[in-house]
Amino acid sequence: MSEKPFSRPSIHDVKPIAVPKIGHWIGGVVLAILALVLVQVLVTNKNMQWGVVAAHMFSPAILAGLGMTLLLTALAMVLGLAIGVLLAIMRLSASSVFQAVSWGWIWFFRGVPPLVQMIFWYNLALLLPEISLGIPFGGPKLVSWNTNELINPFSAAIMGLAFTESAYAAEMIRAGIQAVNAGQTEAAATLGMTRGQTLRRIVLPQALRIVIPPIGNDTISMLKFTSLVSVLALPDLLYSAQMIYARTYQTVPLLLVATIWYLVLTTILTAVEHAIEHRLKSEDRAGSGKRAGFLPFRLFARQQEAL
Amino acid sequence: MNDVMNDPVRGEPLLKVERLRKSFGTHEVLRGIDVAVMRGDVTCIVGPSGSGKSTLLRCLNYLERPTGGAIFLNGEPVGVRWKGERLYEMSFNELARQRQRMGMVFQGFHLFPHKTVLENVIEAPVLVKRVARAAAVEEAMVLLERVGMKQRASYYPAQLSGGQQQRAAIARSLAMKPDVMLFDEPTSALDPQLVGEVLAVMRQLADDGMTMVVVTHEMGFARDVADHLIFMDGGVVVEEGRPADVLTRPQHDRTRAFLARVLAA
Ligand SMILES: Nc1ncnc2c1ncn2[C@@H]1O[C@H](COP(=O)(O)OP(=O)(O)O)[C@@H](O)[C@H]1O
Ligand SMILES: [Mg+2]
Repeated sequence: MSEKPFSRPSIHDVKPIAVPKIGHWIGGVVLAILALVLVQVLVTNKNMQWGVVAAHMFSPAILAGLGMTLLLTALAMVLGLAIGVLLAIMRLSASSVFQAVSWGWIWFFRGVPPLVQMIFWYNLALLLPEISLGIPFGGPKLVSWNTNELINPFSAAIMGLAFTESAYAAEMIRAGIQAVNAGQTEAAATLGMTRGQTLRRIVLPQALRIVIPPIGNDTISMLKFTSLVSVLALPDLLYSAQMIYARTYQTVPLLLVATIWYLVLTTILTAVEHAIEHRLKSEDRAGSGKRAGFLPFRLFARQQEAL
Repeated sequence: MNDVMNDPVRGEPLLKVERLRKSFGTHEVLRGIDVAVMRGDVTCIVGPSGSGKSTLLRCLNYLERPTGGAIFLNGEPVGVRWKGERLYEMSFNELARQRQRMGMVFQGFHLFPHKTVLENVIEAPVLVKRVARAAAVEEAMVLLERVGMKQRASYYPAQLSGGQQQRAAIARSLAMKPDVMLFDEPTSALDPQLVGEVLAVMRQLADDGMTMVVVTHEMGFARDVADHLIFMDGGVVVEEGRPADVLTRPQHDRTRAFLARVLAA
């Protein structure tokens, strides 16, 4: 029936021609043009004042602010995770008092924005002029402090950030602990380990491994949340930039300095997070490799030895 | 401490179970069990699935709290303690001390996945018995040699076959130098070609004089290794005795039916 005989090559010798992706082509061209326009605006717009940006990028005030941002992030994460572990354990305990206290804490600190908390903690003296340790309900006091001496912008900021993190971490860690096989606890019990030993050496190291990826996420969020402390006039990265442009009116370039630094830090953290996750994933494939590193496990093990 | 039963008398059972009962809610799983395990003996427990074998084993070291009856290890009550004429429940930490004397091997191995084989074995001696790390490592390597796992000491559980994991788990239990080893279907989760290597280790352990209580479906092992065979069904001991007697001349219909089924398989 065919009018003309073809001289086709063998089907085994040729590759089929791909279905044309016209949508990709049109969309790609449009987006590429838009991106070029954006770059052009960024580079050529005089208001960006790239010279000013360069001049302040490594100025002592900005670097000090950068240090403060990193310190706040690290401290808030460490404190938040520590409280989170405690809350998770309380939440899983058999005691309904522990459960209720943990539930209440998580409910409160997950519900109140960190910015509101920081302002509130900073003004704690208005509510409690004095903080003391002693017998409650009118009993004698052993030690007491003037609240205004305890609360400064730094401690108020740390509380606001760490308490918020603790509420989120608690839920993650609780899920992590529950994901650890019940057989692990039983095996530890039959070896004569106490509850505390089992938790510290067997359950928590495994639970924390499970929650490494979400903790990485939280760290990146925390880095950005620290910029809230500028309301307390705490000289972090953002507030340091703000102090400079309040004086020099170079608002845009100094905001750019802060933006670039935030991007650099989040990029580094993301890369670290990906590296760890990649490591974990390749180790999860059972039996892979002769002596896979188990990096996080070794890290945890070392941490555990130190306890 | 306060009890004449405390001194192990020659001829007294190492492990004694009296009128043991266990219910989950209204479901009575163990309905009055009496068992005596002599020092150095291998006791095998067989019976259909759901007959309460695992529950019995788990009651022995108080992973499950019995609802009635008593257990004695070396004449000392397990899980409870006398103070004068009153009987008190043990706290978890007191229990932990008692559990050191009963090793347990699970169907699912339950090695600690975040630790190497060696770390699995030395963990409890170092943490619980406060053995110096170097000494614990030395003893662990001897044990790993015994179970044929010395070459794999630095491997993580995920890198091992089921048979290797189970042999490591046996070494981990032995490291606490228990008076008795409890095995709950130690080969049931293994590929058929890996069963032999684990049974071989257990045979050797029996030859070395370890007191063992083994729940198993391996009738060959029970026949060759056990000194005492117990057939359980419906939460009671239906029949017990020397393996040769129970296996070749069962006295009860239920035993006969069970044996016909497992030996045919
Ligand atoms: N934790 C538990 N809660 C409720 N029922 C249980 C529990 N453990 C075991 N059982 C029940 O007890 C019975 C005996 O179980 P088990 O001791 O595991 O038997 P076996 O080991 O002989 O197969 C089964 O009916 C099982 O469903
Ligand atoms: Mg069972």
